[in-house]
Amino acid sequence: MTIFKDLYNYRELLKTNIKKEIRGKYKGSWLGVIWTFLNPLLMLAVYAFVFPYILRVNVENYTIFMIVALIPWNFFTIAVQTGTSCVNINGNILKKVYFPREIIPLSVTISQLINFLITCLIMAIFILVSGVGFSWHLLLFPLLVFIQFILILGINFILSAVTVFVNDVAHFVQVAMTMGFYATPIVYLPQMLPDKFQWAMKVNPMAVLVEGYRSVLYYHEIPDMNWLLIWAGLSFLILVIGYIIFKKLERTFVEEL
Amino acid sequence: MEKNIAIKVSHVYKDFKLYYDKAHTLKEKILFFSKKNKEKDDILHVLKDINLEIEKGESVALIGTNGSGKSTLLKLMTKIIYPNKGKITTNGKLTSLLELGAGFHDDFTGRENIYFNASIFGLTRKEIEEKIDDIIEFSELGDFIDNPVRTYSSGMYMRLAFSVAINVQAEILLIDEILAVGDQHFQEKCFNKLIELKKSGKTIVIVTHSMDQVKRFCDRAVWLYKGEVRMDGNVSEVLEEYLKVCR
Repeated sequence: MTIFKDLYNYRELLKTNIKKEIRGKYKGSWLGVIWTFLNPLLMLAVYAFVFPYILRVNVENYTIFMIVALIPWNFFTIAVQTGTSCVNINGNILKKVYFPREIIPLSVTISQLINFLITCLIMAIFILVSGVGFSWHLLLFPLLVFIQFILILGINFILSAVTVFVNDVAHFVQVAMTMGFYATPIVYLPQMLPDKFQWAMKVNPMAVLVEGYRSVLYYHEIPDMNWLLIWAGLSFLILVIGYIIFKKLERTFVEEL
Repeated sequence: MEKNIAIKVSHVYKDFKLYYDKAHTLKEKILFFSKKNKEKDDILHVLKDINLEIEKGESVALIGTNGSGKSTLLKLMTKIIYPNKGKITTNGKLTSLLELGAGFHDDFTGRENIYFNASIFGLTRKEIEEKIDDIIEFSELGDFIDNPVRTYSSGMYMRLAFSVAINVQAEILLIDEILAVGDQHFQEKCFNKLIELKKSGKTIVIVTHSMDQVKRFCDRAVWLYKGEVRMDGNVSEVLEEYLKVCR
């Protein structure tokens, strides 16, 4: 339980680190934090044109259908990509002073969570303006966010530690994210997938989560709770294993960096 | 661990691998694994069976020639690196001044950097706010405190960094060769501050080559030679022997 005590003692460091992540990212850019919104909006504009008009995906209210999946997916990719390199990037500080090392992946993941919640406001505006609106199912939204956060945090503990020893991981993650985008039903309906590939929608946690977001925000129905709870459990397992791996490897971080 | 012991080092060994060609990517790791390249990597035994007990309130100097393992021992005490064998336990809040300005961000102001830097040392916001005036005053930066640190001269930068580190209320202070901060006036001020901390019962371990500082400040000296403790005891005795060998 020393981890919670450590984190409590170093809570100010965690806070300033999160602030720095959020503010530092756009420091020196003209539009500043607005990019947090602009980036997914521009992506959205492209997909909202390509899929219904060129690839002829026929879904009612396609923009909303996609935005409720795309924004959680963006949270996942950006958080994992920044998480993967976070220990390497902070190498200089690690070499000079001691503090609980888990603060680094933790603050990166939390700052991305905050960014995600901000972009959710945009999503909410879209949902309201388009007339899709909200239902009581929105109450399940925090649960989905929570599972996703635990999953990302666990992945980031593993990847950030392993990247210190093998640089290739960062490149691999980049490719994996591109593949993951199509392995997750973001721009298409899962039913479009042939039967023999349907299993992919269950083994891929992001597919389960994205479907969950869509049920809650777009279809206004209760998501597939069985798979959601299975992945909630597995995410916790990943987090625990990830933390153990991180703790094991952190002892030699400084000598490898 | 006994109550009056601040730092206990028992049977500590530390090796460093010397990489001649470090495999950083997967491809290189696999290639080098199959080749017998491993022989090329020598292992350097930096510390060999170090045993030390530092009592609370003691001021200890680690002396020795370059490469004798002083800084490595200090890094082990701060938990930046870990020993290969043996154990190090510390008792009480510990601050290390290994390199000044760790965690400074150039685009942020001096004041913001005080918050960053002090939080790395484990202070809460409230504790920082209590001390920020002292820190700014000690640094003698005046109005510059609200300018970004990238506009600072190197002297100003060091003054700010030292002011933060020294004002963190730690029970154990580890200092590595950094008392050469700023001009004569500021150095003297830092030194007096250290003496003040010493008098208030803090444990201080310093690595230094300045025998003058050792004599003025420390009660005890530990002489490291090629990774082993060659002599440990009263400052004047250890220094006498050390200087004999150096000449």
